[in-house]
Amino acid sequence: MHVLVIEDDLEHAEFIEKVLSEAGHSVETAGDGSGGLSRAREDSFDALVVDRMLPEKPGLQLVEEFRNGGGTTPALFLSALSDVDNRVEGLKVGADDYLAKPFAPEELVARVEALGRRQVSGEPPVTVLRVGDLEMDLLSRKVTRGETKIDLQPREFKLLEYLMRHAGQTVTRTMLLEKVWNYHFDPQTNVIDVHISRLRAKIDKEFEHQLLQTVRGAGYCLQA
Amino acid sequence: MKSGPFAFVRTTTFRLALVYSILFALFSAGLLAYLFQATVGEMRAESKTRLEAELRTLANAWNTGGPTRLEQSVLERVLVDLRDFTYQFENARGETIIGDLPRMPIEPIEEVGVSREGVFEIERPGPEGGSVVTPIQALVVRLGDGSVLMVGIKMDERIRQVNRITRAVATAAPVGFLLALLGGFFSARYAAHRAETLTKTAQGVMSGDLSLRAPVGGSGDEFDRLAEQLNAMLARLETLMAATRHAGDSIAHDLRSPLSRLRNQLEARLRGPIDEVSARETLGETVEEVDRVLATFNAILRLSRVNAGAEGTLLPLDVSELCEELAELFEPACEDAGIAFSADIASNLDLSGDRTLLAQAISNLLDNAVKYTPSGQSIVFYARRKDARIEVTVEDTGPGIPDTDLERVKERFVRLDEARTHAGSGLGLALVDAVAELHSGDFTLTRGNEDIGLKATLSLSAKG
Repeated sequence: MHVLVIEDDLEHAEFIEKVLSEAGHSVETAGDGSGGLSRAREDSFDALVVDRMLPEKPGLQLVEEFRNGGGTTPALFLSALSDVDNRVEGLKVGADDYLAKPFAPEELVARVEALGRRQVSGEPPVTVLRVGDLEMDLLSRKVTRGETKIDLQPREFKLLEYLMRHAGQTVTRTMLLEKVWNYHFDPQTNVIDVHISRLRAKIDKEFEHQLLQTVRGAGYCLQA
Repeated sequence: MKSGPFAFVRTTTFRLALVYSILFALFSAGLLAYLFQATVGEMRAESKTRLEAELRTLANAWNTGGPTRLEQSVLERVLVDLRDFTYQFENARGETIIGDLPRMPIEPIEEVGVSREGVFEIERPGPEGGSVVTPIQALVVRLGDGSVLMVGIKMDERIRQVNRITRAVATAAPVGFLLALLGGFFSARYAAHRAETLTKTAQGVMSGDLSLRAPVGGSGDEFDRLAEQLNAMLARLETLMAATRHAGDSIAHDLRSPLSRLRNQLEARLRGPIDEVSARETLGETVEEVDRVLATFNAILRLSRVNAGAEGTLLPLDVSELCEELAELFEPACEDAGIAFSADIASNLDLSGDRTLLAQAISNLLDNAVKYTPSGQSIVFYARRKDARIEVTVEDTGPGIPDTDLERVKERFVRLDEARTHAGSGLGLALVDAVAELHSGDFTLTRGNEDIGLKATLSLSAKG
């Protein structure tokens, strides 16, 4: 992926660049709001990583202007302000995700990669998701693997849908809690892990090839 | 503002009083002028017309018949006592020919035929002794041969009335002006005094004493209302300041120990031999430790913001749905830990609440229950309406908490010795308490059923 990082703190920008480059992405950086906005308009990036506190043009304003100007590149806010209110504010101006500082490198990579998979507008909506021989029909809400029909609880269905939409990418526990359960805090117990292992029991247990992998220290990855 | 005995002079009230006094004085003067113009002026003008007519008639007599004819005419008029005219006629040498005045009361103009107007008074013995003063309005003219003729007319009683009014108003106006000034002075001093108490309070607060409050007189006037508002504002500020200070103290106090521990570990490693394996291990531990510090830091910030009312937006919320979701979230974890989990959620538990904060609070209670309840025991999670309140309860059959510690564990950073083997910041129950307060509710910890385990209840005020 080709990622534009707009961040004024040089050390922080370098860290983000390093983390994303190591994950195999090409990264460009901009140090202030106005410069970042013009770069975002000039080139086609796959994702924008925008700090909220920027000189010259605050991140909120930048993303708002970018969206008003017709820019569709998915954007992720980075901010030291982690309140729900701030998060909502960020999503309202057109950002696609929000990550509070400090963050684990894996979390950033996972979220940026998730952004790249956003459905391109104009394409007909997908009704069937496929990962290997695992198939999910979003209309009839049926899930099959090979010839075997798999029964899922509503929440398990949602969880699997999210994993399938981000197949091949690492998805963190926090992302799952946010996107599948809509909670913005960390439970201390391993509630997500337990849900994953239940799901795994349903989709992988009787099959030789394991689709749902645990990524150590980061999260999970569904891969064919 | 400088204060002194005359500080009130600069107050708005005093300035207003001054302006009104001056306006009052101007009004009085205007009224007098009008009164004078409307009565005295008009009457004088009327008298003057009559005097001029009379003078013209007599001058005609002089023109046609000379002094003799004039004298005759005047005598005729005096004898007939025509109306209320008075006459005086002197020859060129100044000898009185007709008239009872000792001399001409008004000096005539030298030019012949040009009359001059004047007012004088004559004093005559009154009917009951003493004397009566009569004001006379008169015209004097010099005739062709140098003789002088004066025609006067008694001024009407009405004019004297007007004169009295004029005198009365002229006396009353300065008194009124003074009274207005005096009123302005006192009301200004009162207002200045009331404002001064507010100023003093504000100054006291600025110099650091946030507990100061402005005195409220109790009359409910605008100053009282201002003072009440000021006091409410100060109370809110004091709460916020206290919360901030408390958070600051907590951060300073409670982040110091993990940071010192971290520093010591790093230093100990520095002293020993360093190879790549041990360095990697140390760095890994360091990152974990720093993450813990950051998590604690975030938890303190959040707790302080909730305590201060700076976080949390109360919106219509279905607690039943929220509890169902949380039950579903935690049920597998309980099963995994070998704990029997049962949930009993009444439907339609509506209230005004913050979804994220309530979810976090209830999740903290469930987290604790899962962490401290041994395998083979049970957790019961229920939510129901009780009178005007909604109660969310997590009850377990675990080891519970000693009675003496039931209140204490709700405080920040209080962790019982038994809990130290588990990860945690010691802020979870403090947050539950803060969230309960935000929702005008209570958070209570008691022993569970049959004195076993722990029962944690979040009691929230239901909508309406």
